[in-house]
Amino acid sequence: MDALDRDLLAVLERGLPITREPFAGIGSHLGIPESDVLDRLKRLKSEGVIRRFKARIDQRKVGILANALVAWRVPPGRCNEAGARLARCPGVTHCYERRPVPGRWDYTHYTVHHAGSRRDVEAEVAKCAEMTGLDEYTVIFSTEELKRVPAVRVRENGGELQ
Amino acid sequence: MDQIDLALLDALQDDIPLVSRPYDVIAARLDIPTDEVMRRLRGLQERGIVRCLSPVLDSRQVGLTATTLVALRVPEEKIPAVTRLINAYPEVSHNYRRDHTYSLWFTVAGKDEGRIREIIEEIKKRAGLTDQDILELPTVRRFKIDVRFSFSGISARGVGNGRT
Repeated sequence: MDALDRDLLAVLERGLPITREPFAGIGSHLGIPESDVLDRLKRLKSEGVIRRFKARIDQRKVGILANALVAWRVPPGRCNEAGARLARCPGVTHCYERRPVPGRWDYTHYTVHHAGSRRDVEAEVAKCAEMTGLDEYTVIFSTEELKRVPAVRVRENGGELQ
Repeated sequence: MDQIDLALLDALQDDIPLVSRPYDVIAARLDIPTDEVMRRLRGLQERGIVRCLSPVLDSRQVGLTATTLVALRVPEEKIPAVTRLINAYPEVSHNYRRDHTYSLWFTVAGKDEGRIREIIEEIKKRAGLTDQDILELPTVRRFKIDVRFSFSGISARGVGNGRT
């Protein structure tokens, strides 16, 4: 990772241009050839710095209005298996295991669901419960999105990228 | 918004090909001309449906190794002020108000657990909360992190204004 990689990622944070040869455009902005842009991106991808390169979509504008975080209680000994199974359930966009707060909040696994309505989310979650055999869970719907930005922004919080 | 737009949204969630003319590749996949891909994509951007096409970076690979989810029990009247407090931290990427006694749920990524502790302590103090008002739920393991929606499954009819 060098300064040019960081500049490249910072430029791309604003989005790939919608032109015939967008990487050439990025290259001329940075004063490097298109082939260098593509080689750097392929390397960053293979190193795992770039996880995905895709559209950021506002799903609410396409009618996906309901969003829920579901917290699951998983019996000890089932952590890995239950996590893997939850992650495969239809409609799950995120699945994490998190440290609980013993006695106060004993849930260990979390899934995120998006669907057209709360009823659709509830149906999806019921299906997950059935598929995993987990029956202690709580569905926590969102009522307002207060902040949503990429987890890593090169100039703002980029860790070693800054 | 028609079925082609929805198919394009599906295709744009795959990795953008790292080739000189990536929109040609997408166009070939959808069996439409490249000009139409670009025109539709501009349209989706103008309507705010697509924010942009950009790399998603791995927080751990760039040194943000500590990540946590925090839930706060905040009285209704304090929610706007506490939201401003939380959102001001660049380490916070997502913050949602939720239908729960713990009303604010946000994610924090930092270089280590110390920095995360610091942020939570600051918020606690400035928001006038106690330990009982806070759930700190650090990530143990990520099983699935790639958001992907299936749009072509949605009927093109009645879709698109995003109002409830």
